[in-house]
Amino acid sequence: MNIIKLNALDGTQIEFDKDSQAGCGAMKDVYFSPDKSYVVGFFRKPQDNNSRERLQTIVTNYKKMLFENEGGKNIESLFCWPTHIVEYNDGNKVKIGVVCPTYDKKFFFASGKFKGKEQEGKWFASAKLRNKFLESDVKGNWLNYLQVCIKIARAVKRLHAAGLAHSDLSYKNILINPLSGDACIIDIDGLVVPGKFPPDVVGTPDFIAPEVLETMELEKNDKNKKLPQRSTDQHALAVLIYMYLLYRHPLRGGMVCDPSDSDNDEKLLMGKEALFIEHPTNNKNRPLLSSLSKDELPQGNIDLLPYTLVGPYLKELFDRAFIKGLHNPRERPTADEWERALIKTVDLIQPCPNPKCEAKFFVFDNTKYPKCPFCGTSYEKTLPVLNFYYKPRSKGNFMNENIRLMVFEQQSLYKWHIDRNIFPNEKIKDCDRKPVGDFHFIKGKWWLVNRNIEKLVDVTTEPHVEILKKQKVELTEGRKLLFSNNGNLRLAIVQMANDKKRK
Amino acid sequence: MRRLPIYLLIDTSGSMKGEPIESVKIGLDTMLRTLLNDSLMADFSYISIITFDKKVSNILPLTWVKHAVIPNLVPPNSGPTFLGAALELLIDKVDTEVVKRTNSCDGDYPPIVLIMTDGKPSDLSVFEKMCERIKKRKFSKIIACAAGPLSSEEQLRSITDNVVNMCTLDSFSFVKLFDMVCSKFDTNCEYESEAMENLPKEISI
Repeated sequence: MNIIKLNALDGTQIEFDKDSQAGCGAMKDVYFSPDKSYVVGFFRKPQDNNSRERLQTIVTNYKKMLFENEGGKNIESLFCWPTHIVEYNDGNKVKIGVVCPTYDKKFFFASGKFKGKEQEGKWFASAKLRNKFLESDVKGNWLNYLQVCIKIARAVKRLHAAGLAHSDLSYKNILINPLSGDACIIDIDGLVVPGKFPPDVVGTPDFIAPEVLETMELEKNDKNKKLPQRSTDQHALAVLIYMYLLYRHPLRGGMVCDPSDSDNDEKLLMGKEALFIEHPTNNKNRPLLSSLSKDELPQGNIDLLPYTLVGPYLKELFDRAFIKGLHNPRERPTADEWERALIKTVDLIQPCPNPKCEAKFFVFDNTKYPKCPFCGTSYEKTLPVLNFYYKPRSKGNFMNENIRLMVFEQQSLYKWHIDRNIFPNEKIKDCDRKPVGDFHFIKGKWWLVNRNIEKLVDVTTEPHVEILKKQKVELTEGRKLLFSNNGNLRLAIVQMANDKKRK
Repeated sequence: MRRLPIYLLIDTSGSMKGEPIESVKIGLDTMLRTLLNDSLMADFSYISIITFDKKVSNILPLTWVKHAVIPNLVPPNSGPTFLGAALELLIDKVDTEVVKRTNSCDGDYPPIVLIMTDGKPSDLSVFEKMCERIKKRKFSKIIACAAGPLSSEEQLRSITDNVVNMCTLDSFSFVKLFDMVCSKFDTNCEYESEAMENLPKEISI
């Protein structure tokens, strides 16, 4: 042990063990504190005034803005946010360091050949690494990845809403734990604010926006040069979500742009010539099955696992990100739109009836003969779908909201299903997190049990029947259920999908 | 059709440079997308943008939301914040543009006003006078959004009790706001909505 004691710029006493190096990144050497509750990362290169001011603002004003406003407490775990700045004279020169909390235990491999290593997102995002190296007990199921993506989208949403851009979002700068559906954004010290704090880096390959690569060679002051900013974060976010849900890169297909120069080929493929591998009308970049290795399959096969398996809400956003918005940054979906679409997609999920299915959950596509896209197992039971309507004006009719809930055995009904004024994001109150009802399949019939719904009325036919707490109502085609919560009304119309008798 | 005018007063003074204006831009984007995604709101919402720094200008005249394009906002390096003068222009616009209710005509809905600023008006005496005049007019809702890490909410409270921090705004905040405003409108009107397959668009019970 070689403990060094320092005072941070804000006066806090900081200690680190010079013999206990936690790691060394591209820019920093990182040391543990004696109790390993935090780390100190020293920049190898001297930091200019602008970078120092940025670090100072990150540990003070930005931290306050993100975590001390509404919902701030619930997003703290989504970031590894720097807490203090230190200066250290190691005898030769004065080095600047940032103090950060140690990553949570859940972001380290607990067993297997990578035991003790950080769970960098990269391990989970590529078919090759998943199939070749990861044991099945760390991979998690498909629903877990929706949850991971919700966390990432939410974190980016809050950064952007505060006027900040991350500038280097990638699976290297995000730790994930699929088993618990958690994600944590690390390496916050490069935050970008246009006109104030310019970016230090162009980003990480695979995640750099096409316009940044395309204009990389332009002079620093050329106004056509595109630098990392919010819209490039939005590109990186779309790539991340695509990779976590489909385990392949949306732009790496079979196209070759410059067979004689691999660096230039890469620059064109990800930049000027970038093309979605699943583009509906241009098949130039479709992956060639014959050139994929066995470790890249089946995930690399876009005919077997097309991106449409993510359901209608996410498909629309992928279309905007990779078709309309790939070369037109203004069209790209915002992090807020991703969060919303991901949350809505959770309600379309069904458990796969095949106990050996690795994905375990899939988005029900409402076709005549539904089956799990991942393992091909058919879905046999009838499936109730609740279609939600709301009443926009005090007089007048209920309007379709394009929100639905696919019911499965022992699923819960939550307040956000019955009250449009409640939404399960970081601002939700604890009292609104508890289930208010549950669904059961008993002797061939589907039931909803009212556990804690303020008022539930079956309004299918006159006279209306109120379903009191602990009572149940059968879900049948065309049943109309009226929920009220705090004076807010929501109507659900039941559809029975996959009803073989009716076909 | 009755219109719902939405007036956006945006601070483009020097102190908005950096995080505050970036926060405003993403907020505007989110608001516009939320409006367009709501088939009901999209039909009757109209947007007007008034920017204020050392001068006040109506950079987007009252425009149907489906046709609205938000101009690029670039604050200067420094300069004063004439929020009072902006409120004066707002009052003038509301008085001349918003169709009043008469015996023969329903008129427009009372406007929504969103003020996005770091909350430090330079023309305090005009500002105070205008706060009084604002109170004499009918609005569906006035919301002040404090933008940036150094924003102050204190002055904004003289215009409205609804002060929020820009960095917590998301689509759900706007859904809630528009629902609340909309539910007060007591009229029945025809509206189109995207129905899912085999499902009615609207239902009465």
